[in-house]
Amino acid sequence: MASLNTFGAIMSHAIKLEARLGDWYGSIGEGGKARAADKRRRKLERARRENVLEITLEPIRGLDAADYALELDDGTAPCQAAAAEVAARFYADVAPKINVRAAQRALERCGKEHAALASGATG
Amino acid sequence: MSRTIQNYVNGGWVDASPSDSIAVHDPATCQLLAHCPDSTAADVDVAVRAARDAFDEWRSTPVLVRAQFMHHFKVMVEERFEDISQIVVREHGKTRDEARGEVRRGVESIDFAMSVPVLMRSDGLEDISSGIDETTVRQPAGVFAAITPFNFPFMVPLWFLPTAITCGNTFILKPSPQTPLSTELLFELLDELDLPEGVVNLVNGGVPSATALMEHPDVTGVSFVGSSPVAKIIYETCTRNGKRVQAQGGAKNYIAVMPDANIEASVSNILGAAYGCAGQRCLAAAVAVGVGDAYDQLKDELARQVSGLKVGYGLDETTQMGTVISDSAKERIESMIGQSQDEGAEVVVDGRGLQVAGYEQGSWVGPTLIADVQPNTLMATEEVFGPVLSLMKAEDFDEAVDIINQSRFGNAASIFTSNGRHAREFKYNVNAGNIGVNIGVAAPSASFPFGGQKDSFFGDLHGQGMDSIEFYTERKIVIERWV
Repeated sequence: MASLNTFGAIMSHAIKLEARLGDWYGSIGEGGKARAADKRRRKLERARRENVLEITLEPIRGLDAADYALELDDGTAPCQAAAAEVAARFYADVAPKINVRAAQRALERCGKEHAALASGATG
Repeated sequence: MSRTIQNYVNGGWVDASPSDSIAVHDPATCQLLAHCPDSTAADVDVAVRAARDAFDEWRSTPVLVRAQFMHHFKVMVEERFEDISQIVVREHGKTRDEARGEVRRGVESIDFAMSVPVLMRSDGLEDISSGIDETTVRQPAGVFAAITPFNFPFMVPLWFLPTAITCGNTFILKPSPQTPLSTELLFELLDELDLPEGVVNLVNGGVPSATALMEHPDVTGVSFVGSSPVAKIIYETCTRNGKRVQAQGGAKNYIAVMPDANIEASVSNILGAAYGCAGQRCLAAAVAVGVGDAYDQLKDELARQVSGLKVGYGLDETTQMGTVISDSAKERIESMIGQSQDEGAEVVVDGRGLQVAGYEQGSWVGPTLIADVQPNTLMATEEVFGPVLSLMKAEDFDEAVDIINQSRFGNAASIFTSNGRHAREFKYNVNAGNIGVNIGVAAPSASFPFGGQKDSFFGDLHGQGMDSIEFYTERKIVIERWV
């Protein structure tokens, strides 16, 4: 798995994560969660486009995509919670590494939404 | 057989006159991407006549309508953002993030052009004499051209084109023949924008077309970005032909690192400044001057962090530094590293001979760090335009400023410090057009002029910001009395 060592690598991983989750939620009949994932994906694409300024090009260290592998075996509640936990942990780890506040905020918001899903606070 | 790209003239794609063409390669894979025609003076003449003929109608198009075109243009660029950045990577060799950053900066220039209706407004005064009013109006000045470099093939054209045409001028772009594909896509978008025929024109090629633009009597002004020797030629040729000209040249940008700076954080920032775009940019950090005790710390921390940079193909998101533009650039850069060794400098991290697995034919030069560089040697004085950072030592702040001001270039200079007095004195005393304080790449945003002094700029009005409004307009003074 790839190292998450650049702004683009992190944002692209997040975008792919949301796309994968969106497809999965759709396949297990969780339309609302699928739409929310798609919305997050589009927000992240915009954040990647609009915040890639010079200062974000500093190397980023200590993150590896392998640590955030999703296990999307079935649609049971524990499996959904586990996926949301992985996603929430990913966002919690990567957001502090991003040195542009707008992009950092986008990642933090995604993390909060996944944390809420993991705790069953929202559906 | 690869395709030969076309010119865009008078609202349509046309073949250039038969001539030699220039091969365009992906510098990482060596894949032949296209051929760029070497347009002739006759091709330029057709484009200039189209631009001249379009001028009267375009200048009388309401400025709000002209600005509205820029709103639509921005939307188109945003929609194709990833496609554009991918093409920039493929023809230039930079990383994906760097390409995205370039497109973003281009969008900022389109944003700026939307402000033209405000920025073109002028002033006036009633009763300058009894019953006499005096006002100033800004008018577009005619046909403008830009000759742009390979290193930012999408962004640099947008420093000029959006503002020029929104001010009511018509425009001809001649991009670098090494990287013509980003501008080809730029003009595909402009074609979709459905501007009146002749407002924007693209002429591909090298010296013959550039010379023809500079000598054509119907071209009002020329913008140029490139090396200093060429910028000087452009400036002299254009002024000899009675044209406005803004010619941005090369650089040797210094960074002073004070003992009170946060060395680890400073080095992270300096890394991007020195090795971003593989050092192929006029704002690249070329020499870091360690002041006093900072020198040894700087050298150690740079060596540690430089060695960790991942060099590779730009389309791989994990790549932190891409290729240089061509094998000839690689040879030149590697030769300069060797010469610096001959002069007694220490090559701490040597990027020569780098191979990247899977891309063995690519034009790779790894990030290079050279220490103990002395004043008046090659690495202290000549632009490398590659991923090479030199280290010099200064005993104190004043010596660092002296070293920086000895350079014949004056594009950018930065200081890393936590001392406000040093920051202030640096801003005040260093002779460079763009100053960074705890910023390695002092890149002005689109609403500020892109500075440059000494051999880094030839002309009066810079690109971007209010300077660009001045450059692209003619002021007319109207004195009125109605009896």
